Amino acid sequence: ICLWCFVRPSASGQGQSTAVCSPSCSCDEDGGADCSGRGLTSVPTGLSTFTYYLDLSMNNITELPAYVFKNFPYLEELRLAGNDLTFIHPDALSGLHQLKVLMLQNNQLKSVPSTALKNLHSLQSLRLDANHITTVPDESFEGLQQLRHLWLDDNHLTEVPVTSLRHQSNLQALTLALNRILYIPDNAFRNLTSLVVLHLHNNQIKEIGANCFAGLVNLETLDLNFNNLKEFPKAIQALPKLKELGFHSNDIAAIPEGAFHNNPMLRTIHLYDNPLSFVGASAFQNLSDLHSLMLRGASLMKDFPILTLTNNLESLTLSGTKISSIPTNLCEDLRLLQTLDLSYNEVTELPSFQGCGRLQEISFQHNHIQEVDRDTFQGLSVLRLLDLSRNKIRVIHKDAFLTLTGLTNLDLSMNALSMIPTTGLSSLSQLKLSGNPQMKNVLPAKNLPKLRSISVPYAYQCCAFIGCESAMRSSEETDRKKSTGAEAGEQVSMIMHCSPSPGAFKPCEHLLGNWM
Amino acid sequence: EGPPSCPKGCDKCSEYNGCIKCNPKLFIFLERNDIRQIGVCLPSCPVGYFGMRNPEGHNRCTQCKIENCEACFSRNFCTKCKEGLYSHSGRCYVRCPPGKHTANNTMDCE
Repeated sequence: ICLWCFVRPSASGQGQSTAVCSPSCSCDEDGGADCSGRGLTSVPTGLSTFTYYLDLSMNNITELPAYVFKNFPYLEELRLAGNDLTFIHPDALSGLHQLKVLMLQNNQLKSVPSTALKNLHSLQSLRLDANHITTVPDESFEGLQQLRHLWLDDNHLTEVPVTSLRHQSNLQALTLALNRILYIPDNAFRNLTSLVVLHLHNNQIKEIGANCFAGLVNLETLDLNFNNLKEFPKAIQALPKLKELGFHSNDIAAIPEGAFHNNPMLRTIHLYDNPLSFVGASAFQNLSDLHSLMLRGASLMKDFPILTLTNNLESLTLSGTKISSIPTNLCEDLRLLQTLDLSYNEVTELPSFQGCGRLQEISFQHNHIQEVDRDTFQGLSVLRLLDLSRNKIRVIHKDAFLTLTGLTNLDLSMNALSMIPTTGLSSLSQLKLSGNPQMKNVLPAKNLPKLRSISVPYAYQCCAFIGCESAMRSSEETDRKKSTGAEAGEQVSMIMHCSPSPGAFKPCEHLLGNWM
Repeated sequence: EGPPSCPKGCDKCSEYNGCIKCNPKLFIFLERNDIRQIGVCLPSCPVGYFGMRNPEGHNRCTQCKIENCEACFSRNFCTKCKEGLYSHSGRCYVRCPPGKHTANNTMDCE
């Protein structure tokens, strides 16, 4: 049975009418009063005692005197944001026994008004963000046993208010972001056993205690982005339920071995924009909920990460390292992989990707690959994009692309190829072959019916796609031929971009002999 | 305050899109008006949104990504579930998850 329903008359207005309002406000039938943005300098009088929601935000109330809300015993939500408040009398909030939400953000408070908050025993959400708070007295939140959500972000704190938080075992969400915190001491959040979300981003945190997160047994989200951390935050080992971790935009040079071995439930790790040079091979093992992993520029990393039981990865980006080989059983673990970007490494040999049947994009641009075997891409029927540019590929097996029926973009530019197999490339719309000086032969245009754009080593090779005659004539005549559909069958398609296109100085005939 | 023609709390505005830059500490909320988006400056975000602050002051209202949630602390942590739903660890439920039960007449599962 909901007890407070009897205390607070329903909207039907038994007893004193709830429609009583102040001329400075607009009130609804449910006991809500909106007095926001009216230029008020004090709390208006004449409001109903049954008011349960009072919005006084965006006025000019700079002080709250004692007992100013004594006539609102049923008030559940009080909004005072954006008032340039500088002072709240210790007895200003007396009588608000049912207050659940108190919004004091965007004011000029320099300290947490701890005495005024003392008796708000029902308070669940307290917003103190965007003030000028430099100190949080030890007893600030003592009386607030029901407190669940606390905003202290965008203030001037230089340290974590450890003592004032020590009794907050019901607190579930806390933000201390956008302050000037330099260090997190051990046991800073020791008793916050219900905390689920902790935001510390945009501070100046250079160092954290090895046990600074001790006690946070239910923490799921930890945001340490945009700080000055030099070391990997090993303190996360105390967080068994961590699902989302962010430490991007810091100064971290290495991710150690077993970095996340105590965080098996991790789904997301944001670690970009760190000067990473080393990543332990076992760092990302056993993370069965991880869907995406993006590592760029770990320039000293030599070993491909061990990904056993990290078997729900859908996207893996690992570029700018010294990795030279890939485990042959890669696809035994990564069956769900859709995007694989291993560009800018030193890989010499490609494994078979046969088990990775969901792969849609593969990039090995800028590696040391020399050949492509028959089985390398076998069975990848949903592969759309394959980038093997800037390698040393000399040979591609004639059946290498046989099953790539979904491939639309193939980049083989800047290699050492003399020819390429085209069987199986029936869906290809873009093909890049420039930068293969030994490739002088004519490409079989008929195997590439959907081609729209091609770059070739030599201009004359474009003739197979856009026809020598049409290259000589002016464009108007070309349009006339197009409109009549004449000779449409001869060229592969007139809607074609081929570079370098033959022209006056790049004749269709091969300079060293007439191949026509 | 911004130019007189701009709405309250707005630092820079356009005739067609309302506010395009709010005063410091406020959140910009993009109201939909047919095919147009009208910028409005708020001290706290409306139902279904939360305020994301950033050092450059481009604070903006961002949608909660939790089902049945009226107010949230961050994208995936709800602070107030819709009427009649129970809340646990920042998510909203028709009934408390297994092993949890409501506590002292609140809609929180513990």
